[in-house]
Amino acid sequence: MPESIPASLIIDTLKDTFREARSARAAEGWGRPASEHLGWILSVPDTHQKTVLAALDKEQALRVVTCATEDEATAIAAGLYAGGEPVVLMIQHAGLYASVNTLRGVAMDGRIPMFYMIGLLQRERDRDPRESRHSMVRFAEPLLDTFGVPHARLEGPDDVHLIPEYYRISRQRRGPAAVLVGLETI
Amino acid sequence: MAMKPEDVLRVIAAGRGDAICVPTMTTSPAWRELAPDDLSVGCVGFMGGASSLGLGLALARPERRVIVFDGDGSLLMQLGTLATISGARPRNLVHLLFKNGVYHTSGSQEIPGGLTVDFVTMARGAGYRSALSIGELDEFKRRFPQLLKDEGPIFVELVTTLADQTPMTARGGVPFPDQIDRLRQKLLTAAP
Repeated sequence: MPESIPASLIIDTLKDTFREARSARAAEGWGRPASEHLGWILSVPDTHQKTVLAALDKEQALRVVTCATEDEATAIAAGLYAGGEPVVLMIQHAGLYASVNTLRGVAMDGRIPMFYMIGLLQRERDRDPRESRHSMVRFAEPLLDTFGVPHARLEGPDDVHLIPEYYRISRQRRGPAAVLVGLETI
Repeated sequence: MAMKPEDVLRVIAAGRGDAICVPTMTTSPAWRELAPDDLSVGCVGFMGGASSLGLGLALARPERRVIVFDGDGSLLMQLGTLATISGARPRNLVHLLFKNGVYHTSGSQEIPGGLTVDFVTMARGAGYRSALSIGELDEFKRRFPQLLKDEGPIFVELVTTLADQTPMTARGGVPFPDQIDRLRQKLLTAAP
């Protein structure tokens, strides 16, 4: 059975992910970062990940930019990437559906590394997401499959290692990669 | 009371210094002729995204000016960007809006509201540090140097005629992924 993941664990994992990204950035030849924070979170607030967003409000090491739409978040992420900054997008499945053209145009055709954490709001604890009663849960993985976006489920605290793994995959393949947050974070 | 967009772009090309420029739609063909350099990246294939792309660049490289050449039809596609930019408060972002009242590329259909849409009021209401409209080339020439110094985000509506070319009549240019690579490499080697 899936379990909820504590916000603190996700944030610590994001920090580790960004530390690794900063090391890779330095190895690439970039100089000192323009600011002291580890990386950027672009968020279109997701009810499913609200405890993470609340904890991020108090977090000094990560800079959060709240975006009006997922289209914006994707294009902002492209600009941050071009400028040498590490970035993670936190959105909801409905936002994924809303922004597929930008996903296609920027992350795929544009060959921009783009790592998404996508909340599966209303995912039932006792059902596989692909068999959900809710279309917005049921279609998320098939949509990512259609676009060829590598993805994995975060089904509990033991799965947070998938965050840096899929972040790396997005960099290696120069395109989108995603983890799906199975249950509401706590 | 309307400027030729190519004339505006010539003023920018002459005075931008090391600013990163983000053209979109009908400014793209003329810009790649006027400024065939590695410090520009066009918004192609995701209409409405130029200002967000520019915001990301401005946040990543605060030591540099970033100038976005937006279009009125494009901005309407992602109007929420005005609030997102204001919220992020990039001090180095200049958001230029080339306002011609139509979707030029697809055959000059009028945008919703046409030329009556008041983008300056929208930008000011969203929280841009300053917002103004310019319709005369001499005024733009006079003000442009200061736009590169003033604290952003700055919004400037430029009332223009139609461009000579559109991305449909003048295809080509460097593919978007290569533009990103070239810009990234340029910024990497110039990074402090």
